[in-house]
Amino acid sequence: MSTRDLVLAALFAAIIVALGLLPPIMLGFIPVPITAQSMGVMLAGVILGARRGTVAVLLVLLLAAIGLPVLSGGRGGLAVFAAPTTGYLIGWVFAAFVTGALAERLVRPAQGALAQSLGFFAAAVAGGVVVLYAFGITYLAVVTGIDFGKAFLGSMAFIPGDLIKAAVAALAARAVMAGYPLLPARA
Amino acid sequence: MNSLYVEGDSFLHRLPPGLKLLLLLAVSLALFLTRSPLFLGGAAAAGVLLYASLGIGWRQSWIRLRPILLTIAIVALATLLLESVEDGMVALLRLTTLMLVAAAVTATTPVGAFIDAVTRAALPLEKLGLVRASDIGLAVGLVIRFVPEVISRYQALRTAHQARGLKVRPTTMIVPLIIQTLKSADEIAAAIDARGIRGQKRQRKS
Repeated sequence: MSTRDLVLAALFAAIIVALGLLPPIMLGFIPVPITAQSMGVMLAGVILGARRGTVAVLLVLLLAAIGLPVLSGGRGGLAVFAAPTTGYLIGWVFAAFVTGALAERLVRPAQGALAQSLGFFAAAVAGGVVVLYAFGITYLAVVTGIDFGKAFLGSMAFIPGDLIKAAVAALAARAVMAGYPLLPARA
Repeated sequence: MNSLYVEGDSFLHRLPPGLKLLLLLAVSLALFLTRSPLFLGGAAAAGVLLYASLGIGWRQSWIRLRPILLTIAIVALATLLLESVEDGMVALLRLTTLMLVAAAVTATTPVGAFIDAVTRAALPLEKLGLVRASDIGLAVGLVIRFVPEVISRYQALRTAHQARGLKVRPTTMIVPLIIQTLKSADEIAAAIDARGIRGQKRQRKS
């Protein structure tokens, strides 16, 4: 990894931490406040690509593990990895990787704005929703002994908020690509 | 950013961090290999005693553990209602014990000692060419250094929005925040290389 890649991943990890410290954002059209931190994971993938995005997320988790309160709501320490929702934290790593890998393959600088935004949205949903929930729900079901189908249904309540986050992440990624492109292109 | 480490001189404070992490791993495996209520109950009581022996105080402990306890309580209640009373109790005892032991390790290990332990653990990976062990500490330091920077940029952007009578929306805040922050990467990378912090002798890849 070049020094620049390392610094980019570290800076993005700082952005993810900062997103968790900010007060939850109200989106206006839904009454639930959303925390921006899980959107940071999608953003890391669509903006930095698979490799650097994954390193950024790993750094955030490492900071949490060594006792810094970097997760939303000031959570941190090894205890956050002993919660029933730990599967989502583990899933973050794979979510960022899949989001980044898809974004690198789906989005080209030559495409129109709409095609780019849709490509980023598809990547963010596949990684930040499908892959993330696969890890989160499986872990929840294994640790608590709740039936997998029931755990799946119970988690559906959070899907609409995450789809909105994916849409915001896609628009932001499109704008960053236009202003300061960083995503490595793949054939 | 204040770390969750608490000054002290308990038995746990004096154990080396690597050993504490191995013990934590052993505890978590033991907890998930058994369903015996007697064993899990005893383990939970031992966890409470261990955490109490650190002398953190009830108030501070409650503030630290509340968010995770709340999640555990909700999920244990859901398990109890959806599956059985026994399943609910097992989930509650297992997760609470694990949380207490993990929180105890965090409270007795300073961040620097953790970074040393992680760096040493990464040395075998370095031999495989996967990662440079010394980069881990460098990257962690960079993140800690830049979190306040990102927050002050966010506040400046919010002020700029308000001065122009714009509503503070995530879509209009995130993009300038990310571009401004990532644009400083080149300068920081150049500064790191100019000081030879990552070493000059080895060939840099790509």
